[in-house]
Amino acid sequence: MQFPGAGKPPVGVIFDADTGAGIDQALALALLYGLDGKNECRVAALTSSNPALESAQYMDAVGRFYAGAVSAAFAAVGRQLPVALATEGPAIKSPMLLGPLSLKKPDGTLVHFHNVQRMLDTAEPRAVIRNALTAQFDENAVIVCAGRATNIAAALALPGFKPWAAQKVRQLVMTEHGLATDIPAARAVLATWPGPVVIVPDAASASTPYPAASIEKDFAWSTAHPVVDAYRAYKPMPYDAPSWSLAAVLYAVRAKEGYFKLSEPGTASLSADGKLTFAATANGPHRQLLADASQQARVLEAYTTLVSAKPVPRAPRFRPPAQKVEEKKAEPVRPATP
Amino acid sequence: MTTGKLLTGKSLPRRTLLRGMGAAVALPFLDAMTPAMAATSKATGPVRMAFVYVPNGIDMRNWTPQEEGPLTAELPRILKPLEPFKQDITVLSNLTHNNGRALLDGAGDHGRCCGAYLTGVQPRKSYVDIKAGISCDQIVANQLASKTRFPSLEVGLEDARQAGDCDSGYSCAYTNNLAWRSETQPLPPVLDPRALFERLFGKGAELSPEARVREGKFRRSILDFVTGDTKKLQSTLGPTDQRKLDEYLSSIREIERQLERAEKDNAQINPGMPKPYGVPADFAEHFKLMTDMITVAFQSDMTRVLTFLVTREGTSRAYREIGIPDGHHPLTHHMNNPAMIEKVTQINTYHVQQFAGWMEKLKSIKEGDGNLLDNSMIVYGAGLSDGNRHTHEDLPTLIAGRGGNYIKSGRRIVYRRETPMSNMFMTMMDRMGVPVEHFGDATGPLPGLDLA
Repeated sequence: MQFPGAGKPPVGVIFDADTGAGIDQALALALLYGLDGKNECRVAALTSSNPALESAQYMDAVGRFYAGAVSAAFAAVGRQLPVALATEGPAIKSPMLLGPLSLKKPDGTLVHFHNVQRMLDTAEPRAVIRNALTAQFDENAVIVCAGRATNIAAALALPGFKPWAAQKVRQLVMTEHGLATDIPAARAVLATWPGPVVIVPDAASASTPYPAASIEKDFAWSTAHPVVDAYRAYKPMPYDAPSWSLAAVLYAVRAKEGYFKLSEPGTASLSADGKLTFAATANGPHRQLLADASQQARVLEAYTTLVSAKPVPRAPRFRPPAQKVEEKKAEPVRPATP
Repeated sequence: MTTGKLLTGKSLPRRTLLRGMGAAVALPFLDAMTPAMAATSKATGPVRMAFVYVPNGIDMRNWTPQEEGPLTAELPRILKPLEPFKQDITVLSNLTHNNGRALLDGAGDHGRCCGAYLTGVQPRKSYVDIKAGISCDQIVANQLASKTRFPSLEVGLEDARQAGDCDSGYSCAYTNNLAWRSETQPLPPVLDPRALFERLFGKGAELSPEARVREGKFRRSILDFVTGDTKKLQSTLGPTDQRKLDEYLSSIREIERQLERAEKDNAQINPGMPKPYGVPADFAEHFKLMTDMITVAFQSDMTRVLTFLVTREGTSRAYREIGIPDGHHPLTHHMNNPAMIEKVTQINTYHVQQFAGWMEKLKSIKEGDGNLLDNSMIVYGAGLSDGNRHTHEDLPTLIAGRGGNYIKSGRRIVYRRETPMSNMFMTMMDRMGVPVEHFGDATGPLPGLDLA
């Protein structure tokens, strides 16, 4: 909720992924909250296109890790909307979800607390995406689609959604990886999205995988980190993780900082077998993200620093804590001067 | 008047009126109105749609039943008055009005939540250039206009201005009206029982308070004017219909007596009070009088659509009737003070008590194979859930009645979070025979209400 006079807030990010399909998605969530903690963006909504309940549980747990445990004020701002979960499609219950979600403290409570016990604790993605956009200033939102495009296509089909998207969304950033798992949805989004679309091809992030060494050394400050626990559960350590989703988030929030290059405008299309092709066309609605070899070290530095950033307590925006006022002793009653 | 000719197989027309000088009394649903050849089939009346709105949210801790599915356990404190009608209500959880939220428009949740409630759109923040949307009741009313004498009725219990700033820049038009005929034209509720009575029975002529005083000296019952038609009709009816007609006319007479009492009481009230002439001083009496008339209007098919703004959104009305001298709105900003929460709960419960009285009345009136409540969908709810924090999700909502054997009542249904309230309105419009492709911020019809 924004109030007049509070100034334009940082860009609002709607993060949509089939969370659980790849460890890069968990890293991207951490990167997103790292940027949020630096006040460079606000997490406006989290939506999952993986209909496994564990997917929503995990996203909720990550959100609470960065929000609830740190500052009630942060929680009040960051937890306005519930995690949204698709109900159709193949459910992916991967170790990166089941691992951290199964961890328990000695007293039997969850290490990574979440509040999603059943489908009714989640929301319908298209409503959440639309509602999140309605709360953003014009051209002050980005949508990151790091997986199948099911939810974005569903939102796009809502009556009245396109004008909202055109008005509010600076750009839609989609990873190539995952688009093929829902070809009709990806085609619908590519064909009808009413604004700029940037696609992150697999090749754009091939040279900058997330290093396993960072997991080993950069999170010493946390005894139980939901992203680290997911990383360790996903595959036997050590392994470097792909960074498709990380590139998408980093570019979405820091688009002007030169981490990547952009292709000329063109039109992307998806073949029946899920192969993405890009044809340069003047004034085309799509662009591709291109790796910049000269920026490789800088990109990796940004990844590791932001992903391993500690949650940052945010100063409350409303109702600052009342300052303690020392009680004044009552003045003795003096007789009136004649 | 057209009377039924049962022996020839012709039925009494549904819109038969008993007419007299300056008066017209519609009739309830009688057996004689059922086509003779269809007498053995299940007869039912038309479906009515109503919205009863209470302001300032409801204390959800004392509203929400613990159980889901069939309501078998004792209802929570606020809903307790509805215990005898547990099988006639459906409690809905997690319905949300996103357009009641700030969405960059800052403070003014009371103005927004009421303006958005039945329109499904975010009202424009202005007290001069107002804009909302056509409310769902009016969409239905427009379509059913040819079927009833009044496309819709708008009633309320609290006098309120229609212009000026009522909440942080939101016009009073938003806080003081539920029904919107167009994006810019709200339909103010009728507050004065006499005005409503004359609208229903006096050919729509509403008299000024002064004229009423003049006429009051000579007033006779409205039924006296239609005696001739009444006798003619009675001679053609069977014993069951005769009894029904007798009960119906008695209820109208009882309303007249209540009105007379209220007006008599008013004469003794301080004239400086900003209360329209004829409005009962007692809240419960006012509620009963208005709902008795609505019941007659439903029973006689004068209208099928109603909005009832119990008190205006953001009201600071005190409830001295139940020993609460504090304003309702300030109490809802209780900051978790138990004493204030207790008073809010008492006010919430008091409202539901009045509503339960109306349910009892509707249920007591037979119609076809069921009763008037069975053939109604009456939404009771508020545009805020937690009035302390001004939250717009999980709005307190219940539907009383079965919508003509459509709603499987006696249950609590929990929807997914953020489910738009507009989805419920879409479903209700569809049930009223007015399907719409889209309404407000709806994402589709609300599943699970029907008997299937």
